[in-house]
Amino acid sequence: MSTSQQIDPRGPRFAAGITTVVLAVVLITSWWPLLAAQAVVFAAGALFGLRFSPYGTLYRVAVQPRLGPPAEREDEAPPRFAQAVGLVFAVVGVLGYASGSTTLGIVATAAALLAAFLNVAFNFCLGCEAYLLLKRLGPSASSQTT
Amino acid sequence: MTGLLVVVGVLAAGTVIGFVLRGREGAVRSGQQRGELPARVAEALGPGVTLVQISTTFCAPCRHTRARLSALADKRADLSHVDIDVTNQPEIAETLGVLRTPTTIAYTSAGDEILRVSGLPETNRLLTALQPHLSEH
Repeated sequence: MSTSQQIDPRGPRFAAGITTVVLAVVLITSWWPLLAAQAVVFAAGALFGLRFSPYGTLYRVAVQPRLGPPAEREDEAPPRFAQAVGLVFAVVGVLGYASGSTTLGIVATAAALLAAFLNVAFNFCLGCEAYLLLKRLGPSASSQTT
Repeated sequence: MTGLLVVVGVLAAGTVIGFVLRGREGAVRSGQQRGELPARVAEALGPGVTLVQISTTFCAPCRHTRARLSALADKRADLSHVDIDVTNQPEIAETLGVLRTPTTIAYTSAGDEILRVSGLPETNRLLTALQPHLSEH
């Protein structure tokens, strides 16, 4: 845990704001290629860290210089895990929309929107805090590594 | 049209959920007995009240909780604090009925659960609730 990268906690919250807008547009327009693009953004954040995701880069270049340095830094692991949770919902959503199962697409996208909105509006990381719940519901992912 | 309604519905539900979660943050609930304690917890119990914090690697508020509770325990002889990372041992969380991290559970030296707190505990509220079990005042 201590070896993990420390990041400005306002970065993930900024990214959640853009994500909220993008997911709302996807739901209103049902234009799933935009959801596919959001899935790529989630994947970049989960695989390489939030600083290297497009929204994270935008934050560092355009927003952080105006805000000044953060009061404190946070461990990168929680928001990175949340990006992976977002990726799963976005992929399921794309599969739903693209295969004609619009209801599945809407439900998955709505779940991701809820998590992103809670993050930006209440600074609450649903994916992070409910890690144990997610693990109990789907034990396959991490039990293999232990 | 459906999509727009879904967006409005999700944002409304999210606002309600957000306020509910915020209200529950740091709230103290009375403890309940759950049978035998996991060995990792039982061996961590000190002579006074022990605050057992359940954390995972993927939990940002866990770090703040750890800092706050260990500072509190350092100042008091009748209170100790232990942080258990259950990322790779979820069976501990399951036995204790913990679904959200951080959850802090206060135990007596005999292993009886006094109370539990979800989220970042408020020091004063926590101490008030623990008062009957503490020797220092």
